[in-house]
Amino acid sequence: MSMAPPPQSRWHTATAVVLAVSAVAWIWLVWNAPVDSRQGEIGKILFVHPPAALGAYLGFILTGVGGALYLWRDDERFDHLAAAAAEVGVLFAVVMLLSGPIWAKGTWGKWWSWDLRLTLTLLLFFVYVAYLLLRSFTEGSDRVARFAAIYGIAGVAVIPLNYFAIDLAAGRSIHPENLGGDSLGAGMGWPFAMGLVTATAAFAFLLVRRIELGWLRSERARREALAGARGAS
Amino acid sequence: MSYVIAAYAVTVIILGGYGLHLSRERAALRRELSGGDESNAG
Repeated sequence: MSMAPPPQSRWHTATAVVLAVSAVAWIWLVWNAPVDSRQGEIGKILFVHPPAALGAYLGFILTGVGGALYLWRDDERFDHLAAAAAEVGVLFAVVMLLSGPIWAKGTWGKWWSWDLRLTLTLLLFFVYVAYLLLRSFTEGSDRVARFAAIYGIAGVAVIPLNYFAIDLAAGRSIHPENLGGDSLGAGMGWPFAMGLVTATAAFAFLLVRRIELGWLRSERARREALAGARGAS
Repeated sequence: MSYVIAAYAVTVIILGGYGLHLSRERAALRRELSGGDESNAG
């Protein structure tokens, strides 16, 4: 079903302003954050790695939500939301999968370990890379959009597995535990919280632009199809 | 310290580069769909 484009210009401005303000605050807080007594300077990667994971989780959850709403309402806008969220989520997952090994090399002395958390993170990444590949090979097909929606919903099941992997490994995981309210050192709570806010703002900033791009691509494809039909008749 | 700089640089390059790519493609498609009239874009 063809729909008019959503009015996004105010969202573009709002997300840009929120991202700019939160990024400045985040940089200032990270710069002035105390050095972790156990890890030293490398502990400051903590302020970028978990926020990247948050962006990836947000992207993949929204892919599932968008897919479910597309199947329910048969509205193309939800399909654009799902596709956009998957792409932005994969980008955040790339940041997570690069910043993590950089921290690991400086802390464990090796880039990677086939730990349950790390392995499930890689699996989660490949699940949504496969989603994007599926969509890119067959763009514009309603049937594929429906299949992609079901696939995107099923992929969300990996998220809780990934998040609780350390508990599931029952002490055999070398990945640091999920952060709780009291597990951060003094003065590290604010830069960590602002990292999460900035990641959410960056996610929203990229998402609204990617949704609009999806609509513009569809609109161009529609016009080309229309021109082709006119040329044939 | 070099590990910290590398982690933050990777973040800025990947997300910033992607944002730039989105902006460029959006601007090009808007121009194309409005028949080259940039005043209709945005």
